Amino acid sequence: MSFPILSLLILTPIIGALTLSLSSSTQLKNKTIFLSGLWITTGEFLLSLLLPIFYDKSKNGYQFIEFHTWFDKFDINYYVGVDGVSIPLILLTTFLVPICLLCSINSIQNRAKEFVIYFLLLESFIIGVFVSIDLVIFYVFFEAVLIPMFLIIGIWGGENRLYATFKFFLYTLAGSVLMLLAIIYIISKVKSGNIELISDFKFDQQIELVLFLCFFASFAVKVPMFPFHTWLPDAHVQAPTSGSVILAGVLLKLGAYGFIRLSLPFFEYASIYFQPMIFALSCVAIVYTSIVALRQLDMKKMIAYSSVAHMGFVTIGIFTLTQDGINGAYFQMISHGIVSAALFLIVGVVYERHHTRMISDYSGVTNVMPKYSFFFMVFMLSSVGLPGTSGFVGEFLVIMSTISVSVYLTFFTAIGVILGASYMLLLYKNINFGDLKSDIKQLADLTNIEIFYFSCLAFLTMLLGIYPKLLFEMINKSISLSII
Amino acid sequence: MINLYQFIPEIFILSLILLTLCFGLFNKDRAISLNTLGFILLSILLLNYGKDFYSSTQLSLNTINLFVLSKIILSIGSIVFILLLKRPLKNENLYRYEYVLFILFAILGSFVLISSNNFLTAFIGLELQSLSLYLMAAFNTKNLSSNEAGIKYFSLGALSSGFLLFGISMIYYDTGSFNIQNLDNFTTISEIGLSLVLISLFFKVSAAPFHIWTPDVYEGSPTISTLFFATLPKFASLIFLFRVYQELNISDIKSLNYIFQMVCAISLLVGVYGAITQKVIKRLLAFSSINHIGFMLLGIMSYQFMSEGTLFFYLIIYLITTFGIFAVLLNLRTVDGEFTKISQLNGLRFTSNSKSISMLVFFFSLAGIPPFAGFFAKFFILSASINDGFIFLSIIAVLSSVIAAFYYLTIIKNMFFNKLEIELLEDNNKTGKVIFIASGLIITLFFIYPDPLINLVDNLFK
Repeated sequence: MSFPILSLLILTPIIGALTLSLSSSTQLKNKTIFLSGLWITTGEFLLSLLLPIFYDKSKNGYQFIEFHTWFDKFDINYYVGVDGVSIPLILLTTFLVPICLLCSINSIQNRAKEFVIYFLLLESFIIGVFVSIDLVIFYVFFEAVLIPMFLIIGIWGGENRLYATFKFFLYTLAGSVLMLLAIIYIISKVKSGNIELISDFKFDQQIELVLFLCFFASFAVKVPMFPFHTWLPDAHVQAPTSGSVILAGVLLKLGAYGFIRLSLPFFEYASIYFQPMIFALSCVAIVYTSIVALRQLDMKKMIAYSSVAHMGFVTIGIFTLTQDGINGAYFQMISHGIVSAALFLIVGVVYERHHTRMISDYSGVTNVMPKYSFFFMVFMLSSVGLPGTSGFVGEFLVIMSTISVSVYLTFFTAIGVILGASYMLLLYKNINFGDLKSDIKQLADLTNIEIFYFSCLAFLTMLLGIYPKLLFEMINKSISLSII
Repeated sequence: MINLYQFIPEIFILSLILLTLCFGLFNKDRAISLNTLGFILLSILLLNYGKDFYSSTQLSLNTINLFVLSKIILSIGSIVFILLLKRPLKNENLYRYEYVLFILFAILGSFVLISSNNFLTAFIGLELQSLSLYLMAAFNTKNLSSNEAGIKYFSLGALSSGFLLFGISMIYYDTGSFNIQNLDNFTTISEIGLSLVLISLFFKVSAAPFHIWTPDVYEGSPTISTLFFATLPKFASLIFLFRVYQELNISDIKSLNYIFQMVCAISLLVGVYGAITQKVIKRLLAFSSINHIGFMLLGIMSYQFMSEGTLFFYLIIYLITTFGIFAVLLNLRTVDGEFTKISQLNGLRFTSNSKSISMLVFFFSLAGIPPFAGFFAKFFILSASINDGFIFLSIIAVLSSVIAAFYYLTIIKNMFFNKLEIELLEDNNKTGKVIFIASGLIITLFFIYPDPLINLVDNLFK
């Protein structure tokens, strides 16, 4: 029995949250609460850095495995472990959560303690999803994520937050319960919830199709794919900045992670069978939501729609079922996690100063906030997919892998890239260039804290763009195992 | 020669009733402490010697376990209930010792009902239970709606008892026996008779479409009585329903099985659709209990897979959650009396940490969101039902729980997101606080350490 690092990763935030909740709220200042939250999450980040250091890339299968019987009678176990697919996402989570807390120190004034507690719980649940290799515990964490997110949007959200948070919760729940039924069915057939055992199990073809659709319902809502994406713009627009960051940065990846980790290995026949449907939906997502994004008046909504388009690349990449495609999709996931989180932070910065998200209210910001415009440009270009930034590698690999499937597919994905460039550039132009409006003049440039986290994010984007091997080394082996 | 040994629990309660009758006249408080003590004693007795009471009978081990476990749950539930009832009754100026007597009679009826192997005994148990419940509904004699609730409950309950008796007599006409176990050769007449019996039982557990009384009675009765209706007697009737289903092999009788499935599906749907528009919290809880009855019926039908464990587990979690929710509700009052509307919960988060967080836990648990125990309860029921092939019903069940999530979330929304409007008075009821905090902890910590509850259910069915 080695050092239980994964359990520690799950438990640290929970214990932190408990200690915070037991401390009396009247005496603590907001700043102290945020600082203690930051200490905990930074510690968590450092702890998670141990994973890539001690992970043995040459070995197959899961590492750092922990096994405890949980429900003896039903053969449901607490069974956690990580492989190359989960480690980068865990790092992304532990990296983004401190930034979320950092960016809310000033904007969250009321009920700060609750805020930090919900974020800590959210972090441990998300990590729980990424480390679990038993279906039931996976589902438990996957669903539990909804609770803190529901509260974060509902308490600190914008004026229409109730509608948004209810929509978010119910949409996701409706998708997930179908997956729950499928999970129960699978467990009753295989007599185990162990992901590796289930991968080896052959289902009837007809049944496999139904099971695939049940899982698809849950993951497609989470990703979100085209017809199920309507909750996302609402949730993003209404959520506080930190909520949007974690939503775009990590929560959307849960769906794609589910596709790679569960759908592909479990349902090989169905993955091929439903390939055209997923391609069609993803193409619609890419082209349609890009066009919708072009016409948005609200910055956050525009970035939210761009998220749907970018996640379309991810789903296409995953279902090309080639090593390059999945690698590219995975890279796009991580890159989108960093870049879209950064873009939501960018919006948050001006929203905090000017209290409006309408694009038309801004003009000539670069005159008063030069540092801001610089970082904005870095992330905008990365989102567009400029070579040298992380956005390029993923998109390039995905487009390249689509050629082996169909040229039409390549055509549509490439159109998506062009449209993506046009709306991002338009957004950048409208906000940063043009005449300086009189009420923009008093806006202050970035503070040191903001510069700090923007540079961290920018550094990561550049690093992954220039040296993508860093990530590919980690994921190559694990992904090659999940391909049919 | 009847062996009195097997009647020890019932005799115990009967003597408690007699003692309460004597003591209660002089000192109400003492009657309450006497009964608490009595039920603690009874629980210990049942836990340690429960199986020995029935060893002289020819019942199967499984049935004996069922008796013992349900009686233990009933007596533990009674302890909690008796501890809780004093303060709310005082607040309503209803603190009279008769109330405790009604509880005792109802529990006695439930005990008789659970362990009866004969339709007539079951009828006596059920009537003993129901008559006490009618009185409890109308206990607030000065309040019009309480009277209305009592009369409604009584008249509809009498109707359902009529059904029950008619059904029993048809079965007797056909088979010449009142015995529950002894019904091998079915004809159409006993099928009809049995369906009447089932209808009456469905009425008692308030399964749709026999649920019409539930919201009105829940709303009109004093809240403490509502808590009682929602928990212990319903539990007993459900156990009896389960026994009827099991002993008579209803799963093999096509027509009755069909009725069962229909009632299950309708309960699931009527429960959620009824609850969505409710503004009064007790009505909402009434409809939500109908939805949960649907889940329990699903558990009854799929007992073949994992025996009674899943059903019992669901029932225990449901009882704990309901006790917790009502303990919170009983602890809250507005300036002008009991609080009733959901909107009065607005901003509870700002006035009370423990209450709002416990309510959050309870409602997420009822909605079946992990990691709370309610999720596992639903999970096991669904596992059992999918294994037994009730896939269509399972789909209805999970979809209904999505809709149910909506109104549970509305309550949470009121408590956590809305601004404080009317400050609710804190009723400083220590026992109530202990009860809801304890149930909240059980519901939450089950996730981390499920063994005690699972083992409790498991061991008794080995």
